[in-house]
Amino acid sequence: MDFRFSPEEEKFNQEVRDFFIAEEQTVKEARKEWDSGLGYGPACWEILKKIGARGWLCPTWPKEYGGLETSYMNRYIVMEQMHYFLNIYSTVGAGMAGPVILHHGDEEQKTRFLLPIARGEVEFALGYTEPQAGSDLAALSIKAEDKGDHFVIDGAKLFNTRVHYAQYHWLGARTAVTEPKHKGISLFIVDLKTPGITISPIWTVGGMRTNEVFYDNVKVPKNALVGEKNRGFYYILEALDYERISSVSALERGFQEVLEYVKKTGKNKDPLIRQKLAGLAIEIETARLFALRVAWMLNRDKVPNYEAAMLKMLVSETEQNFVNTTMQIFGPYGVIQKGSKWTQLSGEYERIYRDSLENLITRGTSEIMRNLIAQRGLGLPRR
Amino acid sequence: MNFDLSEMQKILLNSAKGFLGKEGKNLAREMEKTDDGYSPELWQKMAELGWMGAVFPENYGGIDGSFLDLVLLLEEMGKALVPGPFISSMVSGLSILRYGDDSQKDKYLPRLIEGNSILSHAFSAPDPEMDESIVEETGSGKDGNYLLSGTRLFVPFAHVADLIIHAADTDKGKTLFLLDAKNPGINCIPFDSIAADKPCEVSLKEVKVHEGNILGKIGKGEEIVGKMQEWGALCHSAFITGMLEQVLRMSVDYAKEREQFGRKIGSFQAIQHQCANMSTGVDQVKFLTYEAAWKLSEGIPARKEISMAKAWASDASRRVCLLGVKIHGGTGVSEEHDMQLYFRKAKANEVAFGDGDLHREIVACELGL
Repeated sequence: MDFRFSPEEEKFNQEVRDFFIAEEQTVKEARKEWDSGLGYGPACWEILKKIGARGWLCPTWPKEYGGLETSYMNRYIVMEQMHYFLNIYSTVGAGMAGPVILHHGDEEQKTRFLLPIARGEVEFALGYTEPQAGSDLAALSIKAEDKGDHFVIDGAKLFNTRVHYAQYHWLGARTAVTEPKHKGISLFIVDLKTPGITISPIWTVGGMRTNEVFYDNVKVPKNALVGEKNRGFYYILEALDYERISSVSALERGFQEVLEYVKKTGKNKDPLIRQKLAGLAIEIETARLFALRVAWMLNRDKVPNYEAAMLKMLVSETEQNFVNTTMQIFGPYGVIQKGSKWTQLSGEYERIYRDSLENLITRGTSEIMRNLIAQRGLGLPRR
Repeated sequence: MNFDLSEMQKILLNSAKGFLGKEGKNLAREMEKTDDGYSPELWQKMAELGWMGAVFPENYGGIDGSFLDLVLLLEEMGKALVPGPFISSMVSGLSILRYGDDSQKDKYLPRLIEGNSILSHAFSAPDPEMDESIVEETGSGKDGNYLLSGTRLFVPFAHVADLIIHAADTDKGKTLFLLDAKNPGINCIPFDSIAADKPCEVSLKEVKVHEGNILGKIGKGEEIVGKMQEWGALCHSAFITGMLEQVLRMSVDYAKEREQFGRKIGSFQAIQHQCANMSTGVDQVKFLTYEAAWKLSEGIPARKEISMAKAWASDASRRVCLLGVKIHGGTGVSEEHDMQLYFRKAKANEVAFGDGDLHREIVACELGL
C-alpha cells in the first residue's frame, strides 16, 4: 500500500498547479462565470482551451486524438487541480462522450470529435433525462426513426444542463419499442444548431440554468449514431461509470476557508463547532480516499462500478453536510444574501447551500447509488 | 498510489484466514465462560505463527514487519472476534521497544514474542476526587527505590498479565513503571463487562519498585502514554474494521436467505440501503485505518490520521452493528446468534483508547482549532 503520488506524479501535480496559479486572472473570471450558474462564458472557454492545448483534458488518450498517452493517475491529478481552481473538474466531452466515442465510435467520428474535445474547443451536453425518465433512464421515449439515409428525431428532454452553450447534444433516443425497455435505445451526437431544436431555460433553486429541449422532426445524418443501433443504453451506463469519478479538492478548499473563518472569529473555542469540523475533516478524508481508490482502479485498468457509486454518493452527501454545518456555524447571519454588510464569507454559502442540492440528484441520486452498492457490490437480489 | 497488499502481506493474510477459520470458530463465545477470558493454547499457536513478533525486530525473535502488517492481522482477528490480551501486549511491547533500555528489551521482548509473557498497561486512575494514587519517593539518591500506591481502572487482562506498565504521578511528573504483575502488593479484580473482555481494577499498596524499572525517563511518562494511546487506538480501529466486515457479511448473507412477504428481504430497498450504508461505513473505516497504519509504517507522524480512524471506527462500530441487528430482526437479538456478540464487543472497542468524541477533539487540535 502507498497513499502517495509517485515522484513523477508529484512533479506533474506541481506543474499543473503552477499553470493554474500563473493563469490567476483567467481562472478567477472562469470560476465567476461557472458559479453564476450560466455555464461556460468566454473565460471558461479560454482556460479550457489552454488546458486542452497542453493535452491535459484527455491525457490518457492516444496522441493522434490530442492526448498524451499518459496514466490515469495523471488525469486524476488534472481533475483535482481543475476542481480546486475552477470548480469544474472535467468537460462532458472529455469525461463521458469522448471515452465512448474512443471505444465505440467509427473512424470518421473519432477524427471529427476527439481532437476538438481534447483541445477544449467543444462541449457536449448530456441528453438523457426526460419528464418520465429520471432515475429510470430506460423509460426514455424521445423517438429516433430510421429513414434509411437519415434519422428523424421527435420528442422532448428535460433538465439537460449544458445545451445552451454546448455544440453537441449527447442524445439517448428510442430506436425500437422493446421489452425490456433498455434494449431499444441508441446514442446520437446531434449538432445543437440543427433546425427543429428548441431550447427553453429552467432555473434551479441554486440559480443554475438548465433546460428543456424540444425536437420537432429533427433530421440528423446517419453518422450521428454512435456505435451500434439499440446498444445505446450500455454505452450510457459505461459512460456513467466514467462520470462517477470525482475529486474532493473543491470541498477541501471550502473546508479550509471555513476553518480559517472559525479561527479568525474565535468560534474555534466552541466545543460543538470543534466536534463538527473535526467530524467533517474525517468525512472529507474518507471521500478523498474513495476518490483515490477509483482513480487507482482506473490506473490499473480495472472498471470501478460500486466503488464509483460509493464515491459519488459520499462526495455529494459530504458536501451537503459541509454546507449545512457552515450555515449552522453562521447562525442567522448565514441566510443573508450577498450584498449586505452582515453577510459572512461574502454570503457565498447562502448560494452554495441552495446549489449543493443539485449534486445529490444529478448523475444518479444517492438512493440509486445505494441500489448500485447493494446490488452490484453486495450481490443483493433486484427482486 | 497503491491500494494493493504486498505479496508478503497476502501470504500473511491467507495464513491468518486459514488459521482463524479453523481455530476461531465459537472461540469468543466459549472464552466468555472462562475466568481467563482467552485461550492460552491459541495464544501459543499465534506466537508460533509469528503474530506476537509481527512488528518486532528479528534480534528479539520478531519478523520485523510493519505496523500495516499488524493492522491486517488485527483485522482478521476482529472478524473472528479473537478475545485476549493481544492489543495490550502489542502496545506495551512497542513502548518497551521504543522507550526501554537494552536490559528491559532483552528481558521482556523475547518472552513476549515467544508467547510466554502477557503485557498490560495501567493508565486510568479513578475520578481524581476519589482515591488518587499516592506515590512516595523513598530513599531517593540512596537506593533509588519508589513506593507506589493507588488504583488504576480498566487495565486489560491484568488478572493474567505478567507485566503491567503502570503510570504514576511522581514529584518529577508522570512516570511509567514496569511492574511484575505477580507482586504481592498488587491486587487485581477483573470486572464482568459488556464484552467479557476482562477489564480489571488494579490496586497497588506500597509496591516497591527499583528505578531500573522505569520505562523511559523519569517524568516523561506523558509522552510515552501519548504514543501508546496512538498505537492502541489504531489497533482497535483495525480490530473494528474486521468486526464490521464480518457483521456486513453476516447481514448480507442473512438478507439473501431470509424470506418475508414472499420475497428475499435483501430485495427490499429498505434493507438494500441499510446494507449500502454499512458497506460504505466499513470501507471508510478500513481506508482511514490503512492510511494511518501506512503512515506509521513509513515513519510519518500520524496522530491526526490515527484519531480520524478511531473516531470514525468508534462511531461506525455502533452504527453498523445496530443496522446488522435490525437486518437480522428477532434473530439479531437472540443469545444464540453471533450478531449479539459483535454488538457487545463493538461497545468495548468503541471506548477503548478513546471514543469518537475524544478523537474528534484530537483531530480538531491537529487542524489548528
